[in-house]
Amino acid sequence: MNEKIDKLLDTRKKIELGGGEKRIEKQHSQGKLTARERINLLLDEGSFVEIDAFVKHRSTNFGMDKVEANADGVVTGYGTIDGRLVFVFAQDFTVLGGSLGEMHANKIVKVQQMALKMGAPLIGINDSGGARIQEGVDALSGYGKIFYNNTIASGVIPQISVILGPCAGGAVYSPALTDFIFMVDGISRMFITGPQVIKAVTGEDVTQEELGGANTHNRVSGVAHFMDSSEEECMARIRRLLSFLPSNNLESPPEYNSTDDINRIEEKLNEIVPDNPNKPYDMKEIIGLLADNGDFLEVQENYAENIITGFIRLNGKSIGVIANQPRILAGCLDINASDKAARFIRTCDAFNIPLLNLVDVPGFLPGTDQEYGGIIRHGAKMLYAYSEATVPKITLIIRKAYGGAYLAMCSKDLGADQVFAWPSAEIAVMGPEGAANIIFKDEIKESSNPTETRDEKIKEYRDLVANPYIAASRGFIDDVIVPSTTRPRLISAFDMLESKRESNPRKKHGNMPV
Amino acid sequence: MMKKFLIRVNGKQYEVEVEEIKNTTSQPQPSNPQPQVQTAPQAAPKVEEKAPQAAEPKKVVAQEGQEVVKAPMPGNILKINVHEGDSVNKGDVLLILEAMKMENEILAPRDGKVVSIAVSEGASVNTGDDMVVLE
Repeated sequence: MNEKIDKLLDTRKKIELGGGEKRIEKQHSQGKLTARERINLLLDEGSFVEIDAFVKHRSTNFGMDKVEANADGVVTGYGTIDGRLVFVFAQDFTVLGGSLGEMHANKIVKVQQMALKMGAPLIGINDSGGARIQEGVDALSGYGKIFYNNTIASGVIPQISVILGPCAGGAVYSPALTDFIFMVDGISRMFITGPQVIKAVTGEDVTQEELGGANTHNRVSGVAHFMDSSEEECMARIRRLLSFLPSNNLESPPEYNSTDDINRIEEKLNEIVPDNPNKPYDMKEIIGLLADNGDFLEVQENYAENIITGFIRLNGKSIGVIANQPRILAGCLDINASDKAARFIRTCDAFNIPLLNLVDVPGFLPGTDQEYGGIIRHGAKMLYAYSEATVPKITLIIRKAYGGAYLAMCSKDLGADQVFAWPSAEIAVMGPEGAANIIFKDEIKESSNPTETRDEKIKEYRDLVANPYIAASRGFIDDVIVPSTTRPRLISAFDMLESKRESNPRKKHGNMPV
Repeated sequence: MMKKFLIRVNGKQYEVEVEEIKNTTSQPQPSNPQPQVQTAPQAAPKVEEKAPQAAEPKKVVAQEGQEVVKAPMPGNILKINVHEGDSVNKGDVLLILEAMKMENEILAPRDGKVVSIAVSEGASVNTGDDMVVLE
């Protein structure tokens, strides 16, 4: 028996070396950790339990029968993060370049299905050269199965993808189907077709980094949600993100004891909004002042910065924040901002995270590129996502709330459970300048001094309409509040809404414009 | 063989006659000149291009290592805070672009030196127009 135990331990030791010392060294020299190092960094210390370590590929094509691939190039299993169960897989670049074959895919599918059955988050670490060509359609089928399971698990368990190496071709679609994508600057690469193919087909010269690096996908394409400068920071941020999310769609997000006073009065909030409505300010300051201990985890920080999305806690409970940023593009809604917000709203709704909407929006961004790009179709996603969301929804109108954009930021009519406004709020069908030009067109035209009359009328309109009290008189706004008291008011309202129960009509699924 | 085409350029309609030049033909001759038709032969090659911009933005040529700060949205230049040759730090306000009733601060995307300024105070810009070149 002892002999057999020794043999087992020896085999396991060999498997755990992956592609061997030499390749591990090479991985390290590129500034990358190995699959097992990554898992250990991510999970609570000593909590990782491996599954399927002994799996081998079955391919005999092109001499593959003589090729040994430890664990078939992917490490799978489960463990805990902050004591909570998670499932994980990590592709091992030291074994056949992390290439995906039939059994490699089967191992991933197995943890996908276990995560779904147990209702626990799945974190996938991608570092792979792509499909294992020798295995042909078996490899392709493997990708297909992974995509299918990503889709079935979507909205049931949080799925997180971490790109720590190449992730090219069809492989990109598994991360794309998950809830969050993490990338590390200088290490991550994601693209459908690489620089060589692009050069051959279109003649464009582009480096891998420019084409699919962390910067590109966090700033330009909006594919990724988070960017870090090292794998260590990346893993720490994944753990932080999970602290805001429930393990599955039937649970509530974890609650923490708040060390921040729930009745904190924040005088600074009375000062932040400039008296001149044409002056920008930083919305993130407001978010920071409202949140427990100023703690804000921003999602897609560098993409469509005219809208801010992210997680805070109020009284220790997770809240998803969607806020206009007057500093960028005047806080207008555009195609990218609509996409970003709609996706975030649906993520929160799927995982029972209440929504806080901070509104200062002058409208939709005008321009032919916006219209041709389909702002109608994209903007509709926000309306859809807000209307469909059944989690508690609180809207706080800070300053401008004009026209369709006022509705798109979750007005009362889209199902906001509570709408608050600061005294600085201006709720109207359009800005005072535009409105005065239309309503008082004749008076301005016939006046002996049109400019003066126009300015008078703008002021008249602003005083009469551009305030929160008309909307409040109709009940579109539940209360006008003193800015400094916002935090206690929000905490009280979310507390009141905790037992909210609302359900949409039964249907197979809605048909959101995509 | 003569073919007639109706060509619209900048909303203006032109009737253009086109004759295919065969190798055997020495000189193309208009077989049936119609003086009353306004022909615009120079307009024909323009059709190939994309619809021309209403007002061509002032173009600046960025050399390698330079970065062009472009207008993020249509608006008017309210104030320019920098001069050519100034050194700026990332996050400095280069200029104020009034758009959507907001005085939008256009920030330096990185540390550098202002090589050239393509706009002037009071000018109106469109999305994507060059404003400032940094080095």
